[in-house]
Amino acid sequence: MQEALPYKTWLPIPSEPRINTPTTPLHNQLLLPGTTNITNMVSENAVIVFGRRGCCMTHVVKRLLLGLGVNPAVCEVNEEDEIGVLDELGMVGAGEGKQGAVQFPAVFIGGRLFGGLDRVMAAHITGELVPILKQAGALWL
Amino acid sequence: MNSSSTHFVTSRRIGIYEPLHQISTWGESFKTNGCPNTSASTIAELEAKLDNQSEDTSHGTPGPSEKYDQEATKPVDKVQRRLAQNREAARKSRLRKKAYVQELESSRVKLMQLEQELERARQQGLYLGAGLDAGHLGFSGAVNSGIAAFEMEYGHWVEEQSSQICELRTALHAHISDVELRILVETAMNHYFNLFRMKATAAKADVFYMMSGMWKTSAERFFLWIGGFRPSELLKVLVPQLDPLTDQQILDVCNLRQSCQQAEDALTQGMEKLQQILAEAVAAGQLGEGSYIPQLATALEKLEAVVSFVNQADHLRQETLQQMVRILTIRQAARGLLALGEYFQRLRALSSLWATRPREPA
Repeated sequence: MQEALPYKTWLPIPSEPRINTPTTPLHNQLLLPGTTNITNMVSENAVIVFGRRGCCMTHVVKRLLLGLGVNPAVCEVNEEDEIGVLDELGMVGAGEGKQGAVQFPAVFIGGRLFGGLDRVMAAHITGELVPILKQAGALWL
Repeated sequence: MNSSSTHFVTSRRIGIYEPLHQISTWGESFKTNGCPNTSASTIAELEAKLDNQSEDTSHGTPGPSEKYDQEATKPVDKVQRRLAQNREAARKSRLRKKAYVQELESSRVKLMQLEQELERARQQGLYLGAGLDAGHLGFSGAVNSGIAAFEMEYGHWVEEQSSQICELRTALHAHISDVELRILVETAMNHYFNLFRMKATAAKADVFYMMSGMWKTSAERFFLWIGGFRPSELLKVLVPQLDPLTDQQILDVCNLRQSCQQAEDALTQGMEKLQQILAEAVAAGQLGEGSYIPQLATALEKLEAVVSFVNQADHLRQETLQQMVRILTIRQAARGLLALGEYFQRLRALSSLWATRPREPA
């Protein structure tokens, strides 16, 4: 079902995606090497943000989460891979019954598609975001 | 019967004329002293007077004297009802008068503002529409018209805002029901949401115009943050107006303040990063400012990001407003919205004052 995309041979492919915990702040920038990683990355990170390289909105999401005490995994996607990645993220989202195209930046919490910057902002203002993060194990206090 | 009908006629004269007399004299004192508190106590006094006069059973409508004999035998509560209607009509008349004077005052402020803007536009000569050599100024026709349309719409928005503020003020002093107050609150909220929609459209026409807050008055621009007011500032203006708050409300407001500040900080940091990227791109000559057509796509892409920031900032303003209204009772929300509207009115008035201040001749 998934289209095979050419591997970028110049990137080291981690044998196992790193599990996101607050005690390991290293290696949060994962450059996307191939498609099969995505589902793994989503399920194995409490919080992961997919965004375009150099995108300032991704930066905003990251700073907001960091400000809350969360250490999100951030996956920066190259321009060429954008469409492929969005499709796949869309499939992950569709698996939960969520319709509609995924846009960058895309935030996954607890292995599930949460939404974009709009959703994150709105959820934070209404106070919904922090409990969801705690439930996913992204916040410890 | 004769003696009672005579008694009738005398009291009737007093009954009809006195309320009107009271209204006109009250109106005089209102003109010289526009303080709503004074009017409120005057209303109370007048109501008390009318209540006392209800002891008489004689406040009938004018008519032939034969009617009085018939009316003397009608039940007392019909007379009471007429009395209440009279009170109501008098009260409504007072409120209308109040609203009219408020409108006059705000129109005066607006007039000063308009004069100032006209002066500014004359000097700049940028957006006066037809007759200008748009090519010479480097603008395309499309950009001009989008912004010109926004400026006109915004003028109407401010007018509508002034009348809504008057309505809120009147309604809060008149102690209308919560159901009616809710309608006013929702109208005011939708009005703000309309502005955000207008801004989103205008941002596509000229985002730098939006970022610089060019449509606002000078004092408002002093407080500018990503094309509008800071959501955290909004809370600082509102909260002191809302006492008393329940313990739960205090907690909720505290949380909202914190979330708002965090979201604001995140957006600010993102904005700084964008500025850095843009500055580096301009310094390196990478944005196609020359005639590199392929680079134009990159430049446009980067500027698109600025549009996103304006939209996200407005989204945050909207969410903050909505959450505030969720936390508060309807009456508190109405008071808060009134305070917010008055705050911006005062800022605009301050700008006019500043612009028209006496200056030393050059």
